[in-house]
Amino acid sequence: MEFLLQQLVNGITLGGVYALVALGYTMVYGIIQLINFAHGEIYAAGGYMGVILISWLFAQGYPPAICLGAALLLAMGYCALLAMAVEKVAYKPLRHSSRLSVLLSALGMSIFLQNGLMLTQGVYDRAYPGEMVQGGFEVAGAVVSYMQVIIVSVTIVLLLALNLLVFKTRIGKAMRATAQDKTMSALVGINSSRIISLTFAIGAALACAAGIMVGLYYGSVRYDMGFVPGIKAFSAAVLGGIGNITGAMIGGLLIGMIEVFAAGYISSEYKDVFAFIILIAVLYFMPTGIMGENVDDTRV
Amino acid sequence: MKRALYLLSMLLLVSLVAFGCGGEKKEEKKGEAPKAAAGIKIGSLGPLTGPYAADGNDIKNGVLAAIEVMNPEMGALGPVTLQAEDDACDPRQAVAAANKLINEKVTAVIGAYCSSATIPASEPLIASKIFMITPASTSEKVTERGMPFMYRTCGRDDDQSKAAISFMTDHLKAKTVYIIDDKTTYSQGLADNVAKLAAAGGLKVLGHEHVNQGDKDYSAVLTKVKAAKPDVFYVSLQNSASAAPMLIQIARMGIKTKILAQDAVYHPQLMELAKKDAEGVFLTFGYTDKETPSYKKFADAYKKLGEPGAYSAYSYDSTVAYLKAVKAAGSTDPDKVKAELAKLEFDGASKKIKYKENGDSGSNYVIQVVKDGKFTNYWNPENGQLFAK
Repeated sequence: MEFLLQQLVNGITLGGVYALVALGYTMVYGIIQLINFAHGEIYAAGGYMGVILISWLFAQGYPPAICLGAALLLAMGYCALLAMAVEKVAYKPLRHSSRLSVLLSALGMSIFLQNGLMLTQGVYDRAYPGEMVQGGFEVAGAVVSYMQVIIVSVTIVLLLALNLLVFKTRIGKAMRATAQDKTMSALVGINSSRIISLTFAIGAALACAAGIMVGLYYGSVRYDMGFVPGIKAFSAAVLGGIGNITGAMIGGLLIGMIEVFAAGYISSEYKDVFAFIILIAVLYFMPTGIMGENVDDTRV
Repeated sequence: MKRALYLLSMLLLVSLVAFGCGGEKKEEKKGEAPKAAAGIKIGSLGPLTGPYAADGNDIKNGVLAAIEVMNPEMGALGPVTLQAEDDACDPRQAVAAANKLINEKVTAVIGAYCSSATIPASEPLIASKIFMITPASTSEKVTERGMPFMYRTCGRDDDQSKAAISFMTDHLKAKTVYIIDDKTTYSQGLADNVAKLAAAGGLKVLGHEHVNQGDKDYSAVLTKVKAAKPDVFYVSLQNSASAAPMLIQIARMGIKTKILAQDAVYHPQLMELAKKDAEGVFLTFGYTDKETPSYKKFADAYKKLGEPGAYSAYSYDSTVAYLKAVKAAGSTDPDKVKAELAKLEFDGASKKIKYKENGDSGSNYVIQVVKDGKFTNYWNPENGQLFAK
């Protein structure tokens, strides 16, 4: 029981992070049917921006809560701008080309960003200031660290905010309209170009928050940290039904849970194998993912 | 307006590159003297990028320090130059890098770091009669393949696992052990050895788990360790950057078990990343007396390259040994140098260097502990005594 509970706590933490990154993939896919390979690198850039900002703020003597909050907001802003820049440079000029060219452009952007990080930040791991968040508490024998509490609560707040934005505001309505039919929504006066930019920015901000929290949780960041979580989050998005926001959240949590439970009850060696077996099984029976609607290709 | 925005975006992307404020040391390029037609060309092989970059750069810097010290002594044979290649600790890239070094006409290669890269790279090198001296690959298989030009300056894993076992049973009086490795030739080979010896020594292995190389989340497997309550937790990971997050998570989960790690996690980076969570961790590492004149000479030459890592001194000694043999032979002819290398005996920075018939130079593993953010000698398996201080 203690074991189960502990693994549950571990799974929720990991799943929350995957969910945050998965949202960026799913939103971008939903709106322009592009698998944004550079998304994992935005997450890594966020982690680095977090290190730089937190170390600096911490050295100025601000209390940890303020350091974390300010760094989170500033870095999210930076990542949003970075993602918009990526979109403008690498994707927008290809808006009317074939999907394959945009995909290649995304791959190139991913390599460019990763190498950019490597060249400027070095090949070594970079440590977060260690005294940020310490300690934890015990629930029925399972240890919950404060860092895990922070990760889960920040994730929940961001997910709720995103839901509000997408389903309750005019901007959200415009986003959904653009996702459904770009031409039609443009005809009724929605600036689809701006909406696409905004989608990239929001996805990037979420990934950035995930990058910072992961950096804090594991104590360090490295230039290539975006690759594996990027792949996992992408799988999470596919599992939940790519293009569907609720699906990405569920998919992220599921992948996190499967990984942790496979490692806990079977073998840590095979945790990735099980995550992908489940992915394949779900796609076999539900080709559009758990929450996926029937994809109508004519709208593309 | 549109053009301005486009330019602005470009600028932002470039800003990523401009964030050079990271303060990481730029690659040291000065040591690579301009290519000279004459002289001795040494290659170095190791991961200069990727997760093990820190260790690969230590090896390269060790060679650079040795070249600086030895260059004035080489006389007409010199100057000595370095061609550093990146194997990313990947078997395929290691072979490609080895072939490149062959084309560059190097006469000796110092490297590599990962045993899984050293072994495949040694095949083409040794077929071309190029010396390969590894300062860091401890897998037994490296020197047990009857390769004529394969040498090793560090210790061997079968000796390392013996030291680990005797520490656990004789000093810690442990009854149970939980083993974890990350599935590389080196880490798993060592963990398997420990598991095998543990059974023979009356130490019960409660579990032997494998994690993936480069994983950062160990929460699931650590929950298992916590439930098993072993006396000792034996951690065999490929390097310090993998071990640091594990130590952080061990502390966070409140696991109080004694932790024994191995030579690959020996790196100042461990304390930098894991901070106080690294305190009290034991590890097996080759004994080096840092008060000898030869160590001080090495430390002096190394100073401007940074802080010596786990294998810097071994890499330095490997290079010095080769150059001494070349000097004694009066040429870089492989057979003559091999004959000299067999006779060679000197006080290296890391230990007394004397290569045996199979290329090994003997092991001298001791137990170290992380104390006040420093690696400190702790226990000597030779006599079962604690180190003074």
